Amino acid sequence: MTDTPAGNIAQATSPAGDIVGTRNRWYLGLLLVAAPVLLVCWLIIYPIIAAVVQTVWVPDADGVNRLSLESYRFFFSDGYSLANLWITLWTTLVCAILLLLICLPIALYLRFSEGRLPAYVQALAIFPMFVPSIILSYAFIRVLGPNGMLDILLNAAHLPKIRSPYLTPWGPVIGLVWDHIPLTVLILLSGLGNVSNQSIEAARDVGAGRLIVLWHIILPRIGNSVLVAASFAVLGIFSAFTIPYVLGPAAPEMMGPFMQRTFRELYDPTSAITQAVISFGFCIVFGLFYVYSVARNQRT
Amino acid sequence: MAVLEIQNVTKTFGSGSVRAVDDFSLTVGDGELVCLLGPSGSGKSTLLRMVGGFETPTGGSIRIDGDDVTKAPPEKRPTGMVFQSHALWTHMNVFKNLAFGLKLRRLPPEEIKRRVEAILELVGLPGYGTRLTHQLSGGQQQRVALARSLVLEPKILLLDEPFASLDQHLRERLREEVRDIQQRLKITTLFVTHGQDEALAMADRIVVMRDGKMEQVAAPDTLYREPQTPFVAGFIGTMNLAEGVVSDGTFTRGPFTMPVPVGDGAAILAVRPEALGLAPGGMGDIHRVTDFGTHGIVDVDLPDGFRFKAMVPEAREWKAGQKVDLKPRAFSAYRDNAVIYRSQAAS
Repeated sequence: MTDTPAGNIAQATSPAGDIVGTRNRWYLGLLLVAAPVLLVCWLIIYPIIAAVVQTVWVPDADGVNRLSLESYRFFFSDGYSLANLWITLWTTLVCAILLLLICLPIALYLRFSEGRLPAYVQALAIFPMFVPSIILSYAFIRVLGPNGMLDILLNAAHLPKIRSPYLTPWGPVIGLVWDHIPLTVLILLSGLGNVSNQSIEAARDVGAGRLIVLWHIILPRIGNSVLVAASFAVLGIFSAFTIPYVLGPAAPEMMGPFMQRTFRELYDPTSAITQAVISFGFCIVFGLFYVYSVARNQRT
Repeated sequence: MAVLEIQNVTKTFGSGSVRAVDDFSLTVGDGELVCLLGPSGSGKSTLLRMVGGFETPTGGSIRIDGDDVTKAPPEKRPTGMVFQSHALWTHMNVFKNLAFGLKLRRLPPEEIKRRVEAILELVGLPGYGTRLTHQLSGGQQQRVALARSLVLEPKILLLDEPFASLDQHLRERLREEVRDIQQRLKITTLFVTHGQDEALAMADRIVVMRDGKMEQVAAPDTLYREPQTPFVAGFIGTMNLAEGVVSDGTFTRGPFTMPVPVGDGAAILAVRPEALGLAPGGMGDIHRVTDFGTHGIVDVDLPDGFRFKAMVPEAREWKAGQKVDLKPRAFSAYRDNAVIYRSQAAS
């Protein structure tokens, strides 16, 4: 009986205590996310808004700022700018397709093989992550460039020279694919971790061969990982600079080198920022695609 | 339906250093349900996986209805396997899970629909075709996994600890249902489990495995009453296995003695708790009395610390600390991993 009043008091006070506790936890949560959110606002959101404003709020001949879409009109009516945008889109698309075609078999091999060899293959696949792009580019020139190692070997074997991909659109494609293999393999491998051995064995048990297992069991289960890998590849490749700058053709050029040249050599910051905003416009589509994939993944 | 013949099958891993299955032979008769029972690492799952085609034997042969399937991949074998983790395809609904194998066999859509609905009826899940697998309970998922194997009408059904992830109540219910379905379809079945109660309740015959070898194969009641080795005696049910010495026809362990008419030497005396009577005396002290309502279990410690378990009809008659004598009513004696004596009541 003596316990009852105390118990009642405890019961009476606990909801209020819960509310205070919940509110404190809510403030603490906000405080914890405040720093990264403010940084994102300062370093990403603000520059984006500033860039967009700078390209549409431009001074006219009298030096008075007014709303104008002239820089965008110029970009989309200029053949050279459109060619640069097109080569960027083409390189991005070709690289994304090649990356999936190359990395999916590697990830499948790493996921379903056992022993020492897969460990070496994984180390080899991850290795490009530790090689700076500039080193990669010069290695490419020494191997595949004119009078490079491949040419020397072909010459030694009395075979004709190859047409070097250096300074052609295929130069950046080869370099960017090599550069993005580690991240793509890791993302696909992480997706394949969700496919249990038993679900594959169950498919084989009901009569599915290896290709049917891949198409009907594995790929549907790693669909989100493929989307995430493709989104990452597209975002990275679209805004690439070093590899397209060193290995790519002088014209047309990818958006990264194009922006840099417009800014540094042509002294035209408005056009450079316009190119950046247009690049951002394409990237944001894939960015939203990535966010949607992740959100869908978390829901399931 | 079908006969499964496993002849001298061996499986080694790690360049031969680990023998998971060692010269194993067994014939499973038409419509028979045989349980492979053994502790973890005894090779029972490896053997089942070899029958299913997921592992290739290092030696020996596997035949189904006389056809050699030793090297055949899983998709070419007339077997159906139910996995411990259900292994349902979560991106497909129940109907698609069941229809997948039938589509691969290029059956017409009407036939697929008819067979899927019939099998769902059989496993007690009519109308569940449109459900996603994550919308099902553990027991329902296991039924779908069973249906997925049965819908293809395999000659041999393989069950790899299918109830291991379920709770006790559901496990008991499902094993009865699976046994009913197996008997109705008269399908030859090989069932792996490490639960002796599961094996005793379901099997026509039980194979006890140890270190990749067959320790004993027999019907459940024979295995329980006439275990051939101390390992089987200890593995099936609860058994008191007391190591001692036989001298002049008497087994002795401390103050505990028992007439055993065999030659002198070390021996293991095996007596079940239900065959061990108690009487006031001085052989040992009661350590604990556990009352299960229907019966009681009395733990009796000998002076050297060895503990006997005795089953008594009325637990309240015994108290911890009480001194008692042990009176085996039926027992067996083992030496060199073989039976050397079985008392009249034990045989």
